[in-house]
Amino acid sequence: MGLYATLQVIWWLLLGVLLMCLAVMVGMDMGVGAILRYVGRTDLERRVALNIIGPHWEGNQVWFVLGGGAIFAAFPLLYATAFSGFYVVMLLLLWTMIMRPLGFEYRSQIERPAWRNAWDWVLFVSGAVPMLIFGAAFGNLFRGVPFHFQWDLTSFYTGSFLGLLNPFALLAGVLALSLAAMMGALMVMNGAEGALLQRARGVVQAAAGVAIVLFAAGGLWVHAMPGYRLIGSPGPGLPQTPLEQSVVTVPGAWLTNFGAYPLLWLVPLAGFAGMVGAWLAARAGRSHLGWWLGALAWIGVIGTAGAALFPFMLPSSTDPSMSLTLWNASSSKDTLLWMAGFAAVFVPLIMWYTSWAFWVMRGKVSAEKITRGDEHAY
Amino acid sequence: MINGTVVDLSRVQFAATALYHFLFVPLTLGLAFLLAAMETVYVTTGKPIYKQMAQFWGKLFMINFALGVATGLTMEFQFGTNWSFYSGFIGDIFGAPLAIEGLMAFFMESTFVGLMVFGWERLSKGQHLAVTWLVAFAANLSALWILVANSFMQDPAGATFDPFTMRMQLTSFRKLIFSPDAQSKFVHTSIAGYVTAAVFVTGVSAFYLLRKRHIPLAKRSLRMAVLFGVLATIGVITLGDALGFVAGRVQPTKLAAMEGLWKSESAPMPFNLIAFPSQREQKDYDAVQVPDLLSLLVTHSLGGTVLGVDALERRAQRRIEQGIPAVQALHVLARDPTNAAALAQFDAHRRDLGYGFLLQRYAPNLSQATAAQVRAAARDTIPFVAAVFWSFRVMVGLGLLMLAFFVLAALYSLRDVVQNKRWFLRAAVWMIPVPFLANECGWLVAELGRQPWTVFDVLPTWMSASTHSVAYMVFSLIGFLGLYSIFIVIELYLLVRAIRHGPAEPGGSGAPQGGHAPLAGGAVPAAAYGNKAEG
Amino acid sequence: MRTFLYFLLFMFLAVAVTILAAILGYEGAWYFAWLIGTAMLVLISAAGGALLDAQEASAAEAGREQS
Repeated sequence: MGLYATLQVIWWLLLGVLLMCLAVMVGMDMGVGAILRYVGRTDLERRVALNIIGPHWEGNQVWFVLGGGAIFAAFPLLYATAFSGFYVVMLLLLWTMIMRPLGFEYRSQIERPAWRNAWDWVLFVSGAVPMLIFGAAFGNLFRGVPFHFQWDLTSFYTGSFLGLLNPFALLAGVLALSLAAMMGALMVMNGAEGALLQRARGVVQAAAGVAIVLFAAGGLWVHAMPGYRLIGSPGPGLPQTPLEQSVVTVPGAWLTNFGAYPLLWLVPLAGFAGMVGAWLAARAGRSHLGWWLGALAWIGVIGTAGAALFPFMLPSSTDPSMSLTLWNASSSKDTLLWMAGFAAVFVPLIMWYTSWAFWVMRGKVSAEKITRGDEHAY
Repeated sequence: MINGTVVDLSRVQFAATALYHFLFVPLTLGLAFLLAAMETVYVTTGKPIYKQMAQFWGKLFMINFALGVATGLTMEFQFGTNWSFYSGFIGDIFGAPLAIEGLMAFFMESTFVGLMVFGWERLSKGQHLAVTWLVAFAANLSALWILVANSFMQDPAGATFDPFTMRMQLTSFRKLIFSPDAQSKFVHTSIAGYVTAAVFVTGVSAFYLLRKRHIPLAKRSLRMAVLFGVLATIGVITLGDALGFVAGRVQPTKLAAMEGLWKSESAPMPFNLIAFPSQREQKDYDAVQVPDLLSLLVTHSLGGTVLGVDALERRAQRRIEQGIPAVQALHVLARDPTNAAALAQFDAHRRDLGYGFLLQRYAPNLSQATAAQVRAAARDTIPFVAAVFWSFRVMVGLGLLMLAFFVLAALYSLRDVVQNKRWFLRAAVWMIPVPFLANECGWLVAELGRQPWTVFDVLPTWMSASTHSVAYMVFSLIGFLGLYSIFIVIELYLLVRAIRHGPAEPGGSGAPQGGHAPLAGGAVPAAAYGNKAEG
Repeated sequence: MRTFLYFLLFMFLAVAVTILAAILGYEGAWYFAWLIGTAMLVLISAAGGALLDAQEASAAEAGREQS
């Protein structure tokens, strides 16, 4: 494998890592938002829950920004085609996501119950809707997306908004939401005490149960679904456009990679292990362990999707031969090389100072400190 | 086929969301360093008032920061959602700085901003100071990468078009980040942020001095902001000059529009102080001119000349004619990448490919393009002169106003008499919107002056947008306008509320000090506490 | 010994910064100017605050002497 093909695979893997970090970290914050109204019955309980992620949500959210930036830099054609194709869904995602920072910063500025109640709903919507959309977007990759290209690579999307909300996509959306709720509840368990902790424990167990069922159901569904198979292309590591390949759809083709490399079955297995482990850990009250097992569940789920789709990134249902793969959607060799250099330096650095930030803010959030009016608590 | 209405609506949406985002960003860039300055004094002298200052301004910082981040999310994704062809066409270069911004800067800023707010009790003094400095540095580093990306649109350095992948590809990362446009634009914009923050802090402090509340805090904040501001304003004007110099070289059409320069003249050229440019007649009405000044300003010599619209249109016409064979060869190569004749033809004309694209708007079939269509396309290369001309003058005028304001403020503050100059304090409160307006005008000059290109000389705007329906665009535009209007109302309400409430005083939070101070909100008429000096 | 090790560390940093500054100054003089300028702005602004403390202290002292 030449340098260019290696870089393409590295960036495909890195994108996977970024998406996993996004799902784990942003998903956790969104999960807290989504379950806030349920686990926190009093204003003080809700403030405790918010302050548990308070020092971190801002940094975590950058995984989302970085995910967008990395797709743009490493797979520009994917960025261009997917984001414009999913226009209405992307808008819903953006609109709900831009409400979230305001929900955190502004909610506790004013004491009026109506004000806080309104922002709690905002946090609920801006937690639940984006996770549903993330999941649904992934679900749609398996179904194929109705788009095609003109000779100069202008892309046209010919589907409707409702077409993106098909049953399989919704299943994937709810799976993502349940994993997010599970992680959010585990994080609340990490920092909370008393009734809040008990309710969060209940959420972990319920959400883990739902996730196990949906992940299994999704697997069976994909088994019967028509998948995409690349039967002719210029090949990896060669500059190319999506107009130079041929692709066919074959029932069950999404499992081809698992057939060729049986070791890959460990990936979905890790997903199940993570979900079951998180359930057990929550029951035993070991929420920190549960959190890491929850992260493993995410890695398993996203890894499974990636392993099944490889090398496809955005299959086209209009003309399967115009599907985007990592070979035809990636940036040039120079850009990938530069970006790999930056990622090699900065991703470990990010992980280091993020861990430091969590370490500094470790421990339980004290309800007493919040009521005493520490000015900067949410 | 491409729908002109969709392109226009996409432009309106981008401009609206970018201008809105840019209301919040400059304040973040500057206020972060002012916070660092205040905390530095706190850590070195140990005086608690500086901690109180850092915390109070930090609270205002966070209210502003939240909306900056929120609206920044829109920008990160809008290239893909609304400018799909553009993103595919230059993503190979343009995406890289955006991704590096996230990796190197925005991550650091956002992670440490959480510690800055929540970490006062958990971190040592020195650690917290380091965190504040990192936030300030990272915020500006963020701006650096965004402006490197923006500069590529103004001066596409370090890239070349590849006819086989149908896109621009990176050739030199070094040229990309060290292009003169990137350098001067970053410094100009970052320092404009310093000025914005300085005016903001000065204005709010003046408000407290007028009300005789929080006087020690207000005097110190004002002193620090004013010194910061006077130097920053000098810097912003210097860099504005450098940027104009660069524009003269790489974007002559922008420069001609900024100066309302329809006819090329011989040196030394006069400067239009005031004029009313007419795009249709290509002349300025009621021009008030300063002799020789233009040559001096944009070429830094009395003997220098710049091209007027007439010469630029002639030049564009030649390039359009040269661009036709480039686009035609590209069509052939798209069907048959091995065609050597087409490749040779393309290579001979590749420099003018963008101009060929530009003509396609007027002549979809290039082989039958008429002379009238070529002239129309050449006319199209001139941006909307009146808008660029006036945005530029408003920006420069406000910049000079702020310089005068800060010089006077520095005089008063250094003599420690500013608290007695009530007229000046009132003026300082009214100055608060000025830098924001100047920033928006600066954005307009840079981006309206770039038209009709998204990437200057390379990719015309009319080709760049996504192929959405008008209905989609109306839907998204209404959504953004609605949401953003609600946001700005909430933000201003919270900011004004936090300012009126004031910093937490050690003995009872936010209450006015002393017996003679009025209730917040001005229950006592201003005359009641007269013009006496304090203490 | 400890001081010597610290000296070596800081000497190393100083040399590294000098080299980086030389490169940055050559490739991107404006970027270099921004770094220096920003540091200067912040320090002058900080000094202004400290100066005000001194001014107020000496004014208060002068006031006491007069009365």
